[in-house]
Amino acid sequence: MNRLNRAAAAARRAAAWLLPAGRREWIAAIWAEAHEVPPGLARLAWRAGGAWVLAREALMPRRLGRAALFAAAAGSAAWAAWPQPTVGHAAVSQFHVIATVLLLAGLPLLAWRFFGPATPSRAGRSLRFFSCAAILALMPAFAIVEAFANLTPKQPAYRRIFCIAQGWSSIQGCGAVPGRSTGGPPWAGEIALLLMTIAYLGVILFLTSRRSQVTRGTLAIGTGTGLLFGVVMFAVAPLGLTNDATDPWLPGSTADPLVALAWILLFGGPAAAAVLAAWRGRGPGGAALPRNVRIGQGIAAGVLANGTAAMFTTALGTGTIALMLRSEWLLRWLNHGHQLTAIAAYRYETTASSGANVYLFMLIWFPVIGLLMSALGAACNPARPARAKGTDPGPRHAR
Amino acid sequence: MTSSPGFSAQTLSVLAALCDEPSQWQHGYALAKQTGLKSGTLYPILIRLADRGLVEACWQDEPEPGRPRRHLYRLTVAGLASATGALASAARPAATKAARTPAVRGAVVGVVP
Repeated sequence: MNRLNRAAAAARRAAAWLLPAGRREWIAAIWAEAHEVPPGLARLAWRAGGAWVLAREALMPRRLGRAALFAAAAGSAAWAAWPQPTVGHAAVSQFHVIATVLLLAGLPLLAWRFFGPATPSRAGRSLRFFSCAAILALMPAFAIVEAFANLTPKQPAYRRIFCIAQGWSSIQGCGAVPGRSTGGPPWAGEIALLLMTIAYLGVILFLTSRRSQVTRGTLAIGTGTGLLFGVVMFAVAPLGLTNDATDPWLPGSTADPLVALAWILLFGGPAAAAVLAAWRGRGPGGAALPRNVRIGQGIAAGVLANGTAAMFTTALGTGTIALMLRSEWLLRWLNHGHQLTAIAAYRYETTASSGANVYLFMLIWFPVIGLLMSALGAACNPARPARAKGTDPGPRHAR
Repeated sequence: MTSSPGFSAQTLSVLAALCDEPSQWQHGYALAKQTGLKSGTLYPILIRLADRGLVEACWQDEPEPGRPRRHLYRLTVAGLASATGALASAARPAATKAARTPAVRGAVVGVVP
């Protein structure tokens, strides 16, 4: 019986590890209280109730539903992104698929354990959901674009375009074997991509957790600014990023108003979001927040703004290129409805798939710019006077 | 099953038990005996009430010899105000239709003047 008790206690401790710190003490409380219950069936019933609370807190039905949805989405994305045997970099691509799915499954659990539950904010929940969806959607999109960009065409005329896109001046020096893949991302690049995924997901999970104390208002301001910038950025560069606009429907000039707006939002968006978030934040009862807390809220809004925009543009842009490689209709639409010759279409597709790599630079630099600009914006922000007691309570805090 | 806006009949019974002596810390087993609720029902209610800032919890300072420390509960100021209001509003329909559970009926009779 002792052995059984010890096994039950060990199982309870292991299961309680799944719970965030704030919940574990409740389970300990039920077990401690069991000593007060008369021995026998009553005590057993008490402990069974404790086990039920533990199971309920650890595996709430809503969480099970979310887990099933995630499993279905991750399975579909992994199936679509799984490399074909002909691809020259199958091991790296398989590692990418498996590692990304494991990260998406594991990081939220770790975040729950260390940062507590998600903040009760619609903006926060939506940001978490769409970040996971974007990372999952990027898996097959990257796989399609990579496979196309690295596949050497058989015909010499096509191969010349391919070699030039690969950075060779002539077909002789290119050395690519017709009909074979030239390779794919190196292991170092793959690790860097995974670290970037961890950084993005980790920051988003932290900022949308209760422990970060980022207010609902800050989350809404940061996410809203990021979505606006993301829409403008995608409209400017739906097929990669160059010095000029790459949107075939734009004049293709840096002087285009939409391009100018994108530049303004890149630097001004996070600064404005930071100023607004720092100015708007209030403590309980409408009291003015300390300066360092206001700066923290401002920086969170700015980083969220540019990070959301980079992720949004990368997911949509890479998705558009991948769809274009599979859909003749989209290719024609992007070319104003003109019928392209086969070689012109190939040149267009090769240029676009090479341009997709530049989204990675956007993913790195946009949040850095957001951090710098929001720090400036939040630091220059004057304190908002405290609201008199008994008036409107102000924005609700995340906690 | 909802007896009052935002509170179920079981939650009202827990609030009523805590309202008996609002300044005193109470144990989980005592609350279970008072309300007739099983541990699997009582503790999720206490957890939600604590999440909403209506109940505060702490660990016993000096446990009885040979026993683990016990978790103690009492209403916060906001919790007391909320519980009094909820029990009062539950008392109105209860007065005409009679409360559904003995615990709520006792709570309504004992707490609401």
